[in-house]
Amino acid sequence: MPEVKRQLSMVLDLNKCIGCQTCTIACKRLWTRDEGMDYMWWNTVNTMPGRGTPRDWEQLGGGFQEGQPRPGKLPRRRDFGDAWNFNYDEVFYGGKGDRVHLKVVGEEPDWGPNWDEDQGAGEYPNAYYFYLPRICNHCTNPACVEACPRTAIVKREEDGIVLIDEDRCRGYRFCMEACPYKKIYFNHAQKVAQKCIFCFPRVEQGVAPACARMCPGRVRFVGYRDDENGPIHKLVDKWKVALPLHPDFGTDPNVFYVPPLAPPRFDENGDIDESKPRIPNEYLVSLFGPPVLGVLETLKSEMAKTREGGKSEVLDILIAYQWKSMFGGFDRDPGSLTWNKT
Amino acid sequence: MEARYVPRFEIEDALDPGATLFDGVRATDVDLIGTPVGLQPTAAIRVSWTGREIGATDRVRVAAVHDGQTLAFRLEWLDDSENQALLDTTAFPDAAAILFPSVAGAPSVTMGAPGLAVTAWYWRADEPGRGRHVVAEGLGTSRTLDVELVRGRGVWKEGRWQIVIARALRVATDEPVAQLTAGETTGFGVAVWDGQHGERAGIKAFSGDWRELRLAAAPAVMGR
Ligand code: SF4
Ligand code: SF4
Repeated sequence: MPEVKRQLSMVLDLNKCIGCQTCTIACKRLWTRDEGMDYMWWNTVNTMPGRGTPRDWEQLGGGFQEGQPRPGKLPRRRDFGDAWNFNYDEVFYGGKGDRVHLKVVGEEPDWGPNWDEDQGAGEYPNAYYFYLPRICNHCTNPACVEACPRTAIVKREEDGIVLIDEDRCRGYRFCMEACPYKKIYFNHAQKVAQKCIFCFPRVEQGVAPACARMCPGRVRFVGYRDDENGPIHKLVDKWKVALPLHPDFGTDPNVFYVPPLAPPRFDENGDIDESKPRIPNEYLVSLFGPPVLGVLETLKSEMAKTREGGKSEVLDILIAYQWKSMFGGFDRDPGSLTWNKT
Repeated sequence: MEARYVPRFEIEDALDPGATLFDGVRATDVDLIGTPVGLQPTAAIRVSWTGREIGATDRVRVAAVHDGQTLAFRLEWLDDSENQALLDTTAFPDAAAILFPSVAGAPSVTMGAPGLAVTAWYWRADEPGRGRHVVAEGLGTSRTLDVELVRGRGVWKEGRWQIVIARALRVATDEPVAQLTAGETTGFGVAVWDGQHGERAGIKAFSGDWRELRLAAAPAVMGR
């Protein structure tokens, strides 16, 4: 397991995510516009329950089980969803805008990065869903690092960011098989693996990653895990309301989630029924492990406390009255950055 | 086996699939074996390849010629499927390589060892016309030095690859690459990767311990 001095982390409050994909686009515009990157979305936001991106990624294996690597499968390109071309010219410039509709040119796709958006599960009036934004988890026990026969993937000692050295990478894709979160992409043009870099060139200059900084929902908290005054330590270690996704995958992620509370259910008469949760407990446990139930209790009791006029440190942090409080000091204006492109 | 001496040729001519350069040159069948799973450098690779066939290609026919300046190999092997373009994330290219010890005593099975480099002339189906000039000093340490000095070209037809890989006998570099001399004998090895079977990196068919290659002496010719 790679040793690090400090670990940068992210906490995402799923109760605040509105599925707007601003994070996705912020990342896309910044990092994945080169040749061979058109199908890449280092940040994805999917509706849960759902099959996700790439399709059925939770069933593709990888990670570790009882200390041993668990075999993983390579997702196919169509499981990620290709970057489709649309008939923009025809619709917008062909003088037929009143007759023709926007449609995909070429083969009709059967999957895409956000294909099952807002489908969710459950029956009216008790349907439910929530959004799950995902990036590389910059894991403490990264399966990608272990799998690479060329030590082309490193976990940086100074901040725990996991990076692929594209000069060493030969495009073998063992990392892509091994990552249980399927957060590694293969660049067909450059023949190397690529993935989320936690915006390290920004972070090194005191600016939070673009997905976090751009998020209109104030969903994403950033900082060092060991910064006791920072939001990560308080949410993960002090209040213990943020959990890793799929701890059963064995890679020890450094991205954490505040699990979603849902509105209460209705019974047959249309009355509020608090006896059962709307989002089934088993489902949340399958994603975040058994501690998720305790977290939901903590959140509910803190909410009850404030309703009675009390104060709650953890809710104040989650509400994020001041955006700067979310970034553990990484709050410099990105407009003031200097970029060195090599 | 012997690399026969032939009158001077251009690399370009050697690469031409219709080249007559190898006409009448005795080819040698080299048996290949899969690399042992236990030798794979990471646990993830070992776990995922345990119980799977490694080394789908079991034999390659090798012929070699040189003109005192350039050494060219022709490799031929059976392969039901041509794997070329990397259009899907699950696609891997067919590939082949010739391996030489850069220095005496370099082990072939572990791709060299620290201080004991090996040199590979590597060709792959998705990089037409070029080869990669590679050195390694142990598993997982290979470095591509350049993509100019080694040239390669392949044709797949009716279930069979025929490729030519060539390089100058001697090259100007400070890197620990094999420098070859007409009239001398060197060790060599062959590896083939079957893309259809997901073979890449250390997952390949190879010829085991060094085999012998005699580079026929160039006749003394005046005025060259
Ligand atoms: S930008 Fe924020 S609110 Fe919008 S989808 Fe991303 S995480 Fe959710
Ligand atoms: S999420 Fe996947 S790619 Fe990212 S560090 Fe963990 S194992 Fe590696």
